Amino acid sequence: MKHAFTVARKDFLSYLNSWIGVFVLGFFFLMAGLFFYLLVMTYVRISMNASQSLYPSVEGLGLTRFVYSSYFLNLSVVLLFFVPLLTMRSFAEEKRHQTLELLFTYPLSDFEIVWGKYLGMVWFFELMLLPTAVTIPLVIWAGGSIDWGPVVVGYLGFWLLGTAYLSLGLFVSSISENQVVSAMLTFATLIFLWALDWVAGVMTGPWAAFVSALAPIRHYREFPLGILDLSHIVYFCFFTLFFLFLSLRAVETRNWKG
Amino acid sequence: MDSRVSKTLVRPPEAPVMVRVENISKRFGRLTALDSISFEIRQGEILGFLGPNGAGKTTAIRILTGFFPPGDGKVWIAGQDLFKDPRGGKRHIGYMPESVSLYDDMKVSEFLDFSACIKSVPRKTRAVHVREKTARCGLDSVRNRLIGQLSKGFRQRVGLAQSLIGDPDVLFLDEPTNGLDPQQIIEIRTLIRELGKESTLILCTHILPEVSMVCDRVLILNGGKLVASGTTEELEATLREQQEIYVTMGDRHRAEEGLAVLSGFPGAEQVRIVQEKNDQVYFSLFVSKGRDLRSEISRAFVERNLPLLEIRSVRLSLEEIFMKIVIREDAAS
Repeated sequence: MKHAFTVARKDFLSYLNSWIGVFVLGFFFLMAGLFFYLLVMTYVRISMNASQSLYPSVEGLGLTRFVYSSYFLNLSVVLLFFVPLLTMRSFAEEKRHQTLELLFTYPLSDFEIVWGKYLGMVWFFELMLLPTAVTIPLVIWAGGSIDWGPVVVGYLGFWLLGTAYLSLGLFVSSISENQVVSAMLTFATLIFLWALDWVAGVMTGPWAAFVSALAPIRHYREFPLGILDLSHIVYFCFFTLFFLFLSLRAVETRNWKG
Repeated sequence: MDSRVSKTLVRPPEAPVMVRVENISKRFGRLTALDSISFEIRQGEILGFLGPNGAGKTTAIRILTGFFPPGDGKVWIAGQDLFKDPRGGKRHIGYMPESVSLYDDMKVSEFLDFSACIKSVPRKTRAVHVREKTARCGLDSVRNRLIGQLSKGFRQRVGLAQSLIGDPDVLFLDEPTNGLDPQQIIEIRTLIRELGKESTLILCTHILPEVSMVCDRVLILNGGKLVASGTTEELEATLREQQEIYVTMGDRHRAEEGLAVLSGFPGAEQVRIVQEKNDQVYFSLFVSKGRDLRSEISRAFVERNLPLLEIRSVRLSLEEIFMKIVIREDAAS
């Protein structure tokens, strides 16, 4: 298990040293900042209008609820574009440079390799999240009040969603020989999963419930509202474990594939 | 035990067996990449691993380095079953891949430190250990450079250095001098020979002169089968039906006399004059295997007062041995 951390550290540092890592880090921060700015501005406009009693119904709408709930939903869409960029590197890159061959001859178990590579990405994802927390002191400094529940639960939900997407990307990367193929395939799969939410919305009959249960966004949506539901947490845990398991199996295919 | 195993026991038995391979086979779908191969390598041996492309060399190396398990059979490294406890077994292995397969975005020191972590070099001695291997492979000047920016020669050394980390008992070197200039080739070969004094070494290469220069013993694979195993001399002896002898004589005016003497020996065939040059005559003749006429020839020349300058039996080069074995096996199958 200690060796998994060594692998994770190597992958994490390799993200930091690559232009793609820096790009993802910077651009994600920029996008997050832009969304936050737009949402705050919208909130300011609406609440100004509300104070002039044009919209008395929004008076009770809190800043946290309005800004952060939408913020996390917007970020979940941004994630669709960034996850493939991160995960395409993990296995496909090592395959291209044939370094995976070296890793397999080191005293490491397949599990340590998969878990280490996954952990390295999760750490990087957490590093992406870190600067977005700067919005919290900013709101307090500007005189706003934070309703901690939705913010903390929102972050938890976003972390669960992100790590689940990463596990899917890891699996796709482990079965593709090429980074571009890996990124495209991951992106396509993520978009498909994202669209399941809409599909479930227009479907009727017994299958609607099934599709809706599969759609990650359906499970994610309640977190930014501050609702902590165990079933959603369990869903994301299963999602992640399922794809980690598939990745492990994919790595083991070298034993019988030429 | 299988007869194939006993056939390969050519080393004196005092050195312990470091690598033991018993009847390993590997199939990919319908293709049989390796067909029941057995051999042993003793401590301190430098073994050359040869075979034409597609002979199963890569598959064999991949199995021996723990990349994947064989379909059938067993591998013991330093007395440990490699696939019963892959992590423990792999600790005894150092593998130098072909030069391309390194982490280009890591610094040399970072990469070697990573290897040392994975290979469980104790934290206290890790820095010293890495330093030592860095110096040994002549990498001191590029310690802090990115591997991706290094020249091929240095990359090769990085590959070698990481294989040495953890002081493994068995080293596998895959095309260690591939793409190097002559100066670098000589340096790497010297390093390999030095390493061979301490650990068991398996050299996988297609440069045959390198094998005959460096290796104690040769294994030749063809079509997934082990077709030959032994020292270059042993392989040569099994191949040769006839031995060719060259004789050089000093006085060209007595060439006919010399020819008559050589032809007079029982068992001498195809006696001929190869060349006459600078008052020297060069003869060539064949004798059947196991018969050495050299002392008789020299005696006969001296008795007749013929000026004998040189007499030698022609050796087969490893290239010729390799070609003959591979062609013979291809013809047989």
